[in-house]
Amino acid sequence: MQTARKQDPQTLVAAVHGATKQYPGVLALDDVDFGIRRGEVRALLGKNGAGKSTLIRLLTGATVPDSGDVTIDGSSLTGSGTQRTVEAARLGVRAVYQELSLIVGMSIAENLFLGRWPSSMGVLSHGEMEHQARETLARLELKLDPRRRVATLSPAERQLVEIARVMIGEPKLVILDEPTSSLAAAEVELLFKAVRSLAAAGIAVIYVSHRMSEIRQIAEAATVMRDGKVAGTVELAGADTTEIIRLMLGHSEQEDRLVGEARGGDTVLSVRHLAVPPKLAGVSFDLRRGEVLGFAGLLGSGRTELLRAIGGLDAVRAGTVLLDEKDITRGSYGERVKSGIGMTPESRKEDGIMPLLGVDENTVATDFSKVAVNGVISASRMAEAAGDIIRRIGIKTARIDTPVGTLSGGNQQKVVIGRWIYAGSRILLLDEPTRGVDVEAKSQIYALIRQLAAEGKSIVFVSSEIEELPKVCDRVLVLKDGCFVQEFVAPGIETDTLMAACL
Amino acid sequence: MSVTTTTPDRRHGFRLLALDMNEIGLIVILLLLYFGFGATTNGFLSANNHLSLLRDAASIAIAAWAVTLIIIAGEIDVSVGPMVAFTSVCLAFMLKADVNVALAILAALAIGAALGTFAGSLRAYFGVPSFVATLGLWSALRGMSFFTTNALPVTFPDNAFLDILADNMFGIPTSAIVMLVLFAIFSFVSQKTAYGRSIYAVGGNANAAELCGINVARIRVLIFTTSGVMAALAGVLLTARLGSGNAGTASGLEFDVIAAVVIGGTALSGGRGSMLGTLLGVFVITLIGNGLVLRGINPFFQEVVRGVIIVAAVLANILVMRYRERRIFGA
Repeated sequence: MQTARKQDPQTLVAAVHGATKQYPGVLALDDVDFGIRRGEVRALLGKNGAGKSTLIRLLTGATVPDSGDVTIDGSSLTGSGTQRTVEAARLGVRAVYQELSLIVGMSIAENLFLGRWPSSMGVLSHGEMEHQARETLARLELKLDPRRRVATLSPAERQLVEIARVMIGEPKLVILDEPTSSLAAAEVELLFKAVRSLAAAGIAVIYVSHRMSEIRQIAEAATVMRDGKVAGTVELAGADTTEIIRLMLGHSEQEDRLVGEARGGDTVLSVRHLAVPPKLAGVSFDLRRGEVLGFAGLLGSGRTELLRAIGGLDAVRAGTVLLDEKDITRGSYGERVKSGIGMTPESRKEDGIMPLLGVDENTVATDFSKVAVNGVISASRMAEAAGDIIRRIGIKTARIDTPVGTLSGGNQQKVVIGRWIYAGSRILLLDEPTRGVDVEAKSQIYALIRQLAAEGKSIVFVSSEIEELPKVCDRVLVLKDGCFVQEFVAPGIETDTLMAACL
Repeated sequence: MSVTTTTPDRRHGFRLLALDMNEIGLIVILLLLYFGFGATTNGFLSANNHLSLLRDAASIAIAAWAVTLIIIAGEIDVSVGPMVAFTSVCLAFMLKADVNVALAILAALAIGAALGTFAGSLRAYFGVPSFVATLGLWSALRGMSFFTTNALPVTFPDNAFLDILADNMFGIPTSAIVMLVLFAIFSFVSQKTAYGRSIYAVGGNANAAELCGINVARIRVLIFTTSGVMAALAGVLLTARLGSGNAGTASGLEFDVIAAVVIGGTALSGGRGSMLGTLLGVFVITLIGNGLVLRGINPFFQEVVRGVIIVAAVLANILVMRYRERRIFGA
């Protein structure tokens, strides 16, 4: 039941009319209309790349639409660059992003007024600042001492301070981007309380999240975006989740699946009751030879924590990891690498590449000894080994020693995967291997993953882009709040049922 | 999978000899300094002064090779001067007690290794910033040297082996030969061994290096061990030259060393740098110091000139890097 919400311009705090935004190769927004009333909490949903972020940036003034206009509290945003964002902020738009932006060494009060500390003649008036901070926190019914240093706060409390910060000035529209992704279930209630206080004060809230149960508790309606358009806005009270999923996915044709019947040989990796509090509650699964096993789950469901625990990068509270029936739970990451496990991280730039080193050295870094003769790295062997990987997986680079930092995201990702192929790893743990890479590179990475599986390697494929899992996975496990809740086996993994299991 | 790509070019040239832009720039600066002082300063071009230049260079360079590795790894070592003095005092005490000279030198090197390893372990296993760990050593070792010697030189009987170290071989100061041999070894290790390349990897992105299976903690310990040994070796050579152990010696050496490394183009943020750059940086520092002394410039004012030149050289370097980065990584 798609209802065109009544949009009486008088009551709208923020409105977007016919906004279109074209980026090179992508139509990020396509004639979008959006409006939100005073005191309304609206959920905003959509897959990665559906246009949510661009819409948010439109409202905060960070992006100027090619056509169409944005109105905040009755006045139209003009100008560009900083001028536009300052204007949006002046009109009352505030956004809280996933990455927290607090200065941990400072007190809550100092953070609330960051850069605008109350002062007289250049001297900070701490009393005044604390007084104002106390009032602000009280408006959100937060019981926090403004003198506490942020470093001593829990993640949830920090998130609440971020929200309290938007109260400074005269906020009209507050945008929360996946605010609960880093919170444990018990802490979410605190956040909800703060959001309800915002709404009660007449502030409009846009709440970006995909956790249906949360959305239903906090929002009245949900706007679903798809392919740069508003696919629909639904009253949550009367809508069931499958309808919302249908809006998110649209009628996607079942394109080029690379996997038919699920395959997989003997079990190579066996994980039992693995627990890493607070994010992993105790998960078990088997990974078979030649199998691509997908992990699906929302941001904050424990995907990355699980991979890190399997890889031995984080201490495990309980449970076992068996490799070829041998217990490796207590072994270090380095030992796992030697026994044939390889891992590619979620954030390529921060944890994946060594940007100044060449493609060749980035590739052989997993095992220098293979290109060394009597401990001396042989330039010709390194060139041969790296050239082999470059050709095999189609890395586009001018020279083999071109700094990896200069390559495109897709090619960087191929280098990060390629180094494990070079090392001869049998088990690959791939965390979001297609994040931020272009469409062509994506399909090349899918093909590469299937090819590796066909060679007998076992692959764990973690993705937040649900629709890519059915394309490449023999099996998909759905992770929710630190537990596996459902298993899907090919053929017959459908994106919509998979997504329903995640939400 | 059938992806057709053309085979990319191989690495250009042999890396030990390949010069990059900033090294060429340094060579130009060196030539200007050399001929500038040569044309204007009496005695600068004399054979004796060249030997003296080499000896001065060696006293900085031997420690600077190891500190280059440390800075490439994204760390810092400020303990070099006191480490030199402390090992020199230890060696002198041992020789005074008639310990066999080979044994005494080995023991001095071992002391350097142990102290370096200690600082490295603090960094690698306890997360103490290397600046703080080595600052602690800087203070403690200088203090220990004065404390044990009462600030008096520790003399010892004449020793034939130390005389060789203090003297010339084939007409070149022995310390300069040691410096050049070590230069070759450090260049080789940094470019052609897994240990050396791992240092670059750790400095470039420690998280990524860790995920590649590189033992980051071990690398971090080893570079400080190496630095301790090199400082101890510099201490041995200095003791041989002075004929005694002196608690106050090598004062401020750590800053000459760091300045030489940084002038040589090694980035304090890690991941980038070369031994050749450090070699050139060492000569820049040495030439400036030597030339100013010969010109009879007021010693206090020399320090001012040195400070200005160090900052100017590094600034030029950063501008070159920035230009190059803009070209490589795009605006």
